[in-house]
Amino acid sequence: MSAIIRPAGALKSYIAGENEIEVDSGQTLKQALGILGIPSEIVALVIVNEEQQPKDYLLQEGDVVKLIAVIGGG
Amino acid sequence: MNGYGGSILRVDLTSGKITKEPTPPKVARDYIGGRGFGAYFLFKEVPQDADPLGPQNKLIISSGPLSGMMIPGAGKCDFTTKSPLTGGYASASLGGHFTAEMKYTGLDSIILEGISPKPVYLFIDDDKVELRDASAMWGKGTLTLEKELKGKFGEEFQVALIGPGGENGVAYASINHDYGRQAGRGGVGTVMGVKKVKAIVLRGTKSVPVADPEGYRKAGMALFKVCKDATGLKEWQTYGTTIVTSWCDEVGALPTRNFSAGSFEGGKNIYGPVMRKEIVITDKGCFGCPSPCGKYSHMKRYNTNVEGPEYETIGMMGSNLGIGDIQDVAQANLLCDELGVDTISTGSAIGWAMECYEKGILTKQDTYGLELKFGNAQAAFAMIEKIARREPGLGALLGEGVKRAAQKIGKGSEKFAIHVKGMEQSAYATHNATAMLLAYMTCDVGAHHNRAWAITYDLQVGRDQVVPEKVARVIWLQNFRPMFDVLGACRLQWVELSIDRDLYVPALEAITGVHRSWGDLEKIGERIWNLSRLYWARENEGFGRSWDMPSPRFYEEPPKTGVTAGQITRLEDVQRLLDMYYEQRGWTSEGLPTRETLQRLELAEFAA
Ligand code: SF4
Repeated sequence: MSAIIRPAGALKSYIAGENEIEVDSGQTLKQALGILGIPSEIVALVIVNEEQQPKDYLLQEGDVVKLIAVIGGG
Repeated sequence: MNGYGGSILRVDLTSGKITKEPTPPKVARDYIGGRGFGAYFLFKEVPQDADPLGPQNKLIISSGPLSGMMIPGAGKCDFTTKSPLTGGYASASLGGHFTAEMKYTGLDSIILEGISPKPVYLFIDDDKVELRDASAMWGKGTLTLEKELKGKFGEEFQVALIGPGGENGVAYASINHDYGRQAGRGGVGTVMGVKKVKAIVLRGTKSVPVADPEGYRKAGMALFKVCKDATGLKEWQTYGTTIVTSWCDEVGALPTRNFSAGSFEGGKNIYGPVMRKEIVITDKGCFGCPSPCGKYSHMKRYNTNVEGPEYETIGMMGSNLGIGDIQDVAQANLLCDELGVDTISTGSAIGWAMECYEKGILTKQDTYGLELKFGNAQAAFAMIEKIARREPGLGALLGEGVKRAAQKIGKGSEKFAIHVKGMEQSAYATHNATAMLLAYMTCDVGAHHNRAWAITYDLQVGRDQVVPEKVARVIWLQNFRPMFDVLGACRLQWVELSIDRDLYVPALEAITGVHRSWGDLEKIGERIWNLSRLYWARENEGFGRSWDMPSPRFYEEPPKTGVTAGQITRLEDVQRLLDMYYEQRGWTSEGLPTRETLQRLELAEFAA
């Protein structure tokens, strides 16, 4: 029962530069970010299966979650 | 010279004399181009104490060695002058296609000097350079006139022009281009207006010499490839800078009702996805951009179109004015563009006036009968028009910028005039974000965000932390990020797509034939930063620490609502930030570069 998290850009540094990582589904995205050590406040946009979702979204089996942050700034 | 057009064009508007000189290799070596050229020529050529609106001031327009080349977003043009808004250094960046075309005319800089006796436009077609009569164009809006000029000369000509705001002397008038791109900040359009130059129209067909064509091709392609492969490309292209609107609201950084709070209860309807769905028609990019952040929008309610709004305008014309409707924000954007005024400063000025009105400091007698309350979009539209026309009374007053307006009105309104050094703060609320606050306090042009955007770093380290690491981060960003404006390319591919900045190094080397690591480039960035600091000190008697203070709103008045309610940076922490900053920069406790610092940066010749 898992979902895939794909952090964009500089957020990759939180998962050792990998492109994606598997997490358990059945938890909220915020909880999953906490386990991965990604500070949820720096995530600007969450896209789950091509749809924008809030950070308290409950992860479903097979979800692909893209995380966009603006680390370098505007 | 490889990577350069090779010439500097001087236009003496007073006499009409036009001359060209070779681009000085030493200046190219030490300052590279773009913003570096601007800072150097400003300091060297504009005499001390020159009136920003007088004939001695110059408008210096420069491309960089990456401009117009096969490099992502290689369309950034720098406009430098002595600011009529702040009395200090102004440097504003313009995207689009102007700088690429300018480079193909063989020009690295255009320096406008003196004051023309009548309205003119500068026409450049490769080596043909002429000042032509612009009397019939005077008074026209920028979008209207650009269309006319393109129709007259052809689509391949690029146009940079001012609107009524610049003609009438609004202190924060912009220079516009490509129907929606602006060199917006610091009043560069005001200086063009006082010089009576309505437009620059140019076309170039020359090629640019390159040191290593094959290396250039490879390095350029490598840069485009990483952009195309970047994970966030699709989202960046879909939303552009509006990606951050909802996030700013969530973290308390969205300026709300003249920065009295950082979250807006009506924010949802100005978020990026709402905008995309409700008004965006298509995406629009600058020269050579693989990740077009520009959005072209249609506002049904008004039956109008605009390029934008981008995040800064949404923050300053939306939440900062208590306006939570994306069509209203976009319409305000359109009015500012057509009239040629900076949306950030205009939004700040109107926000300040709305607060004055709600507090009874201004009354209907002052506001031409307008109910100038937060949330009143129609009143905001009317005020934009009155500011740009410099209508006697409040319009003319707001057109001087919030610092001077508050000095004149008094009654405590100085405390909520949100600016640093006279430049209105752009769209990040900094009640409890100490690195971002410091970035605004120490920015080289006044309270602008783009030199050091440190707000995520605040969240990573702890927003109220006042630690040397934050200060070091701000300094690093200030030295490094503006180098994109020196090189003449967009920084957003690095910022948003997080591409490896080292990929620019071989590209720059192949183009110019000079190897420069990012370490070398950051040193040049530091040199330019210190030079601009010297400029402020030279032009303003008593310049020093007090000039770096932010609006008291950020250390005296915690927001009453939103996620930062009750949070504030203490005044002693503001002072500690400055202490650490000056020390790390190698400046005195008054914020002036020490002799050793100037020597280390090879700036001794500029010391007083
Ligand atoms: S990212 Fe935006 S500002 Fe930068 S070059 Fe592309 S369109 Fe222009």
